[in-house]
Amino acid sequence: MRRTSGYLISLLLLIQGLSLSGQDTIMFPLRIRAGIDLVGPGMYIDNRNNLTAEGFVSYDRNESMSYVLEGGYLKYKYSQYNYDYQANGIFLRAGVDFDLLKPLVSKGKHWAGVGLRYGAGFYRSSYPSLVSDNYWGSASSAIPSRNAVAHFLEFAPGVRSELFRNVSIGWTIRLNLLLSAGTGKNVRPVYIPGFGNGGKSTSAGINYYIVWSIPYKTKRVIIKKEVPQEEEETEQESPSTTQPVTTGRP
Amino acid sequence: MRKEIPAIFLLLTAMIIISAGSCTPQACFDETESFLKGTFYNSSAGKALAPDSVSLYGLGHASDLIYNKSTGIQPAQFPLDNSSDTSRFVIRINGTDDTLLFTYSSYPHLISRECGFTFYHTLDTFIYTTHNIDTIIRANKNITTANEENIRISY
Repeated sequence: MRRTSGYLISLLLLIQGLSLSGQDTIMFPLRIRAGIDLVGPGMYIDNRNNLTAEGFVSYDRNESMSYVLEGGYLKYKYSQYNYDYQANGIFLRAGVDFDLLKPLVSKGKHWAGVGLRYGAGFYRSSYPSLVSDNYWGSASSAIPSRNAVAHFLEFAPGVRSELFRNVSIGWTIRLNLLLSAGTGKNVRPVYIPGFGNGGKSTSAGINYYIVWSIPYKTKRVIIKKEVPQEEEETEQESPSTTQPVTTGRP
Repeated sequence: MRKEIPAIFLLLTAMIIISAGSCTPQACFDETESFLKGTFYNSSAGKALAPDSVSLYGLGHASDLIYNKSTGIQPAQFPLDNSSDTSRFVIRINGTDDTLLFTYSSYPHLISRECGFTFYHTLDTFIYTTHNIDTIIRANKNITTANEENIRISY
């Protein structure tokens, strides 16, 4: 009985060994990341009326997918020829990132892919003054502060690359689709935290992140061996070189 | 495979530059004023027909004509007073004066970030003299910047 089980175990090991013999593996570090955006504070230096501060944390589920949670704060002021607008609030985005690079290329250090997010902006906005002129003269009004919650979806392609050990930098482009501004259709918000221009149903934005990460687990990832194209062609063009070997067998 | 990352960086950098260009302030191309729009109907012909001559001004603003013996006016655009709930007009159709009074409610409407605010109105009632006007009927009570008929003026 012991001998039988010993043969069985040996057979299983042999089968496993054979199945791995045509594959390469790499040790892929799965990471937890935290990043902060530099675009918002950078733009605040130029325009002290508007501040967006945001960051994210992400958790690698595997070598190609991560869970992402982003959050931030917005303070926004805008003046046009016939109105003033003020808003402040916070926003949250939750979703996933998909790495389009192969594990052998990314090695857990580089990332180029797309993110999908659901976002919500919790904000308070007001129009302290608005003026409209026509035939009868000028009419002025104001819309007091009120709270609202906006909902939106986001498609976020981007790249990230390791600069130093566990420190990365990268771009993310944000393409947003507004589901609801949380206000009536007549007095829409000019700017929504996390989304952007509230006057339109779509918006685009950019973030430049500096990211700190720690590997929490190393995963063995199987990489399929790529057969070079030239070798295949060579074999097809000259079958006579392999034929004698097979036909020569007894 | 080493060339893959720089290629993606180049592509996205190009997209960033394009996106940055879209952040520049844009001009306003939308209609920014809402008018009550009245279509003229010739009661004897029984069809929509612009009068030969139309003059229009707000009551008390006789020197500030909206139309001055204008031809081919269809529809007539009545600018309502945003700071009041009534507007009175004198309309001269083919040389005969009539007076119109509109009552309405007003509310601010954001056209766009670039164009700012205008006032929309909801038409409540209207009264008019009948020197040359036969009847006025309401077609749409919502007075906006859209090109929609609000009243029909039969003359």
